[in-house]
Amino acid sequence: MREILSVAPIASVSPAEGAGVSYMIETHEIVKTYKNAAGEFEVLKGIDLTIERGQFVSIVGKSGSGKSTLLNMITGIDHPTAGQMIVGGVDIYHNMGESQRSRWRGKNLGIVFQFFQLLPMLTLLENVMLPMDYADMYDFDERPGRAKELLNLVGLEKEASKLPAAVSTGQQQAAAIARAMACDPPLLVADEPTGNLDSKSADKIIEVFEHLVERGKTIVMVTHDPSLTSRTHRNIIISDGELINETVSRSLPLLRHRHMLEITKKATRKTFQPGEVILKCGQGVKDLHLIVRGSVNVMKKNGNGGKVLARLNENDFFGEIELLRGGEAIACVRAGDGSPVETLVVNGEDFLRIVKESPITAEALGKIVEARLKQNLES
Amino acid sequence: MTIRPRWRKVIHDLFDNKARTLLVVFSIAVGVFSIGVIAGAFVIIANDMSESYAANVPANIELRMVDFDDATLESVQNYHGIEEAEGRRVFSIRARVQGSTKWTVLELAAFDDFEDNQVNLLMPIEGKAIPGKREVVLERDALNRVHADVGDVLEFQLPDGSIKTMPVVGVVQDTAMGAGDFLASPYAYIDQNTLQFLQESPTYNRVYATVSENGDDIEYVRALGAELKTDLEKGGAYVIRSRFAETHLHPLATTVNAILGILLALGILIVFLSSSLIANTLSALLQQHTRHIGVIKLIGGRSRQVLAMYLVLIMSFGILALAIAVPLGGQGAYGLAVFVASELNFNVLGYRIIPLALIIQILVGLLVPLIAGLAPVIGGARVTVVEAISGEAARDEMSRQGSGKKRGVSRWEWIQTRFTILLAKRGIHIPRPFVISLRNTFRRRSRLLLTLFTLTMGGAIFIAVFNVRVTLHDYIGAISHYFVADVSLDFEVPYRLHEMEQAVMQVPGVVRVEGWQFVSGELLDPEGNALENLNIFAPPAESELIVPILVKGRWIQPDDVRKFAISEAAYKYYPNLAPGDFVKVNVLGKEETWEVVGIFKFVDREGMLAYAPYEYISQTTNLANQAYMFRIVTDRHTRSYQDMKAEELDAFLRERGYKLHNAEAGSASLDIAVESLDILVTFLLIMAALTAIVGSMGLTGTMGMNVLERTREIGITRAIGADDRAVMRTVIAEGVVIGMISFGLAIILSIPFTYMLSTIVSMAVFETPIEVHFTWMGYAIWLGLVLALSAVASIVPARNAATMTIREVLAYE
Repeated sequence: MREILSVAPIASVSPAEGAGVSYMIETHEIVKTYKNAAGEFEVLKGIDLTIERGQFVSIVGKSGSGKSTLLNMITGIDHPTAGQMIVGGVDIYHNMGESQRSRWRGKNLGIVFQFFQLLPMLTLLENVMLPMDYADMYDFDERPGRAKELLNLVGLEKEASKLPAAVSTGQQQAAAIARAMACDPPLLVADEPTGNLDSKSADKIIEVFEHLVERGKTIVMVTHDPSLTSRTHRNIIISDGELINETVSRSLPLLRHRHMLEITKKATRKTFQPGEVILKCGQGVKDLHLIVRGSVNVMKKNGNGGKVLARLNENDFFGEIELLRGGEAIACVRAGDGSPVETLVVNGEDFLRIVKESPITAEALGKIVEARLKQNLES
Repeated sequence: MTIRPRWRKVIHDLFDNKARTLLVVFSIAVGVFSIGVIAGAFVIIANDMSESYAANVPANIELRMVDFDDATLESVQNYHGIEEAEGRRVFSIRARVQGSTKWTVLELAAFDDFEDNQVNLLMPIEGKAIPGKREVVLERDALNRVHADVGDVLEFQLPDGSIKTMPVVGVVQDTAMGAGDFLASPYAYIDQNTLQFLQESPTYNRVYATVSENGDDIEYVRALGAELKTDLEKGGAYVIRSRFAETHLHPLATTVNAILGILLALGILIVFLSSSLIANTLSALLQQHTRHIGVIKLIGGRSRQVLAMYLVLIMSFGILALAIAVPLGGQGAYGLAVFVASELNFNVLGYRIIPLALIIQILVGLLVPLIAGLAPVIGGARVTVVEAISGEAARDEMSRQGSGKKRGVSRWEWIQTRFTILLAKRGIHIPRPFVISLRNTFRRRSRLLLTLFTLTMGGAIFIAVFNVRVTLHDYIGAISHYFVADVSLDFEVPYRLHEMEQAVMQVPGVVRVEGWQFVSGELLDPEGNALENLNIFAPPAESELIVPILVKGRWIQPDDVRKFAISEAAYKYYPNLAPGDFVKVNVLGKEETWEVVGIFKFVDREGMLAYAPYEYISQTTNLANQAYMFRIVTDRHTRSYQDMKAEELDAFLRERGYKLHNAEAGSASLDIAVESLDILVTFLLIMAALTAIVGSMGLTGTMGMNVLERTREIGITRAIGADDRAVMRTVIAEGVVIGMISFGLAIILSIPFTYMLSTIVSMAVFETPIEVHFTWMGYAIWLGLVLALSAVASIVPARNAATMTIREVLAYE
């Protein structure tokens, strides 16, 4: 089969100037405020986000958290009240009208909707050809062939001449993905793409997404389904219009979003040089540390001669045993060798209150504490 | 007082979406306005024309006689059955505004006593209504023909060539004299004391009389007139021609009736068109309200309550439409009536509310929306909660898991897609945005049908009007073959053919000359009673200056004796007339029996016409080789050249002492007749424009509703890369596709419409059916117009579609 999608492996993408990484999406202080009779309502409260090329990113959040609004900002469907949105290196809300943005969108990103949004009067093949017509991409006679190949890619070669009403919902969504890839855009944005599908169909759709990511496409997907977030490179949580620190969400995934957000807001960043002592044995513990970058060694004794009980990496945490059980530090924690360690420092009182309000987190932490104590005793 | 929530919702629905309310109200108002204009104008014209005509006391009997005196007039005044009788002297005279070079023939009527005017009353318009000695008052119509104004001085050319001047002191309206005669010269009025100044005899030559009873019984009037005429002639008077009329029947009543008939048909049509517009708009509104209905039912509302709510909503739309359209319709009716009245020289009795029109408007304004909206309202009220709250969007795409039913693909959708696939297999790929336009066109088929009905009717009428116009003009063109001569010369005295030929051939440009005779007579019934005046023209039988449109029989021949070809007007009295039949006529005061050799078409309104050979008539008039009338052929035939040659011949002949009465371009009288036709054509064009407007409004409404319903789809196209132009192109293309389909249908429908309208108009104007002609012009103009209209009708909805933000239409959260 002829290659119909351009292949852009992450490594081949030249890094963005100064950043060292090539970002597909950069948002700076994105604010969105809606006005209605009841007054003003801030849906997005200054979102700063970067998504690298070739990443498969999921965005999750409760209903009304602002996840779809954020997606609308990325796709250029809605205007931010303030802030800057750079997609594929283009500032899409600066010097660009609605109509120009539509044209830009046709060429540079594909959108997959929850309700598929295929045009009911066009066959699947025609639906896939439509973006090529609007973007005026590829020779007119080349378009049907390309559309057929895209439908083959999503397993719809036999359904090409059918109207959307004549195929299953899973097939409709597959066709919608084929349509989104019609102009071979580097970015695909999906809003609850599996929200309306049975699990078998949903699985197929995610397989297609994974296939696309393998080919270097960037995919940003809003979803409610936790089974899908596990299959993405990154999971971004949004709560009340603000992003939750990914270290917080990864370290304490069972917390309620509002607690995660509270921690995100209250936690302070601290950096420790390689080998630097973070926690001394016998010392009182006041904070919980969430490891953002680097690794730490947990040791039985203070000083250099102590045995390393455990090595904690990114998204691990320490200090919870003492905070939950009370008393002094039962082990020493020191920054690993090689590179500095960055931690998020959460106030112990806040941590205890939050754990108290989140029984499942308390239960999970209890098991972790138990395991770590057992490990300590055995050593 | 607190209003129940459901009625509060009705009030809210009424004012919530102002654009939608305006569209519905406007759809209703168009029909109400149109029917108001038409019904009002119908009543005003039908009533006021006869009333204003009768108010001027038109003469029932008009006798054109050889000069007579007061004694004869007195005998008429005292005749049994005569109410009033007035004597006047009426004569033709050439006049022009001082300083102008263009002469116009006026009919100058001298009144004995303006103060005591009892018959054919003059209505003052401007200045003095009663001229003093050596002053002239013009009839309204003459004002335009002479291009004079009150205060101007007119020059009158007397038979001896001398010029007299008189000031124009006033303008009057005379609805009776000359009414109904498009070819009549315009009238002007002088005092009898001015006659001598114009070298005219101070006697009368016309009698205008009213009957004391049965003024609207033409048979009675005719019988009394015939009796009067016989008795006058017994007393030594000589009646040249007689004319009879009913008191309340305007001479143009048949034309006006045709106009009113067309108006009525148009009114009914517009109500139909408007109701289709209303049905479309209301069904779209109900569709938008399906969710509301679902919620109402979900919380316990019953179908009956929903039905009542929406019926009240529709009634409210109707009331709003009435508030707008009733006053406007009243003004429109009056305006249209005034227009028709001014064109046909009668007066309307002033602005007033026409109860009949008001009742019809209220019925149309309230009932038509109710009837048109009933089906969608009942359908809406019956919708189940599940159907209602799942909404159409969900039904489209969630068919399987939502309702458990598969919506499937309709046969029509299948055919459409198959067709496109078939084309694609043959290498013909239609751009997808255009495929969307094409398939969208057929998605709401009942709406499409109603829109097509409106637009097709508008188009068919529009095209038909142009065909009728050409038909009329072609007929006039055919009639012009009765007027082939370039210049017509009428003399006061007869001249020898040879002498006149020698004289006029000296004028450069004159190619040929023919002498014609003319005798005035009457067509009689088998008992010898006068039926109607008969003008018998007598050209040489072999003349090439007349090409008749023969319906039956043959044209005249040189050896015909007491034989003539007669116009179709004779069918009025002899419906079965055929060549070879004999009819009684009164020629030169003698009752004779003549044989009809042929029957030809002419403008029957111009009276009954017959042609007999010069060879025979010149013998009966004892004027062999002589003639009063000469027809001249020049080397060029344009109207301006004819006018120039008429002027030259006029000067040339008068200089040489010939007693010339009048010289005018051969087609002059024809042009006046054509001008009068333009009134009708203008009227028909107004009608075409009205239907076109209603049609385009229908299309605008449809496109507006289509766009409104497809906002989601438009949002999708924007989301996948359609810019403003692409969105607009798709919407406009849909409008144009509808326009083109309607054009195709209008082409077909225009054929019966052309025949129907031509028949109505030709019967009204010519009193004879005429051959129908078709012109590409109406088709071409309508094609251009329908393309422009459909594009314009789609532009506003398309712009709205293009400016919607995608977030609005896709409504994510």
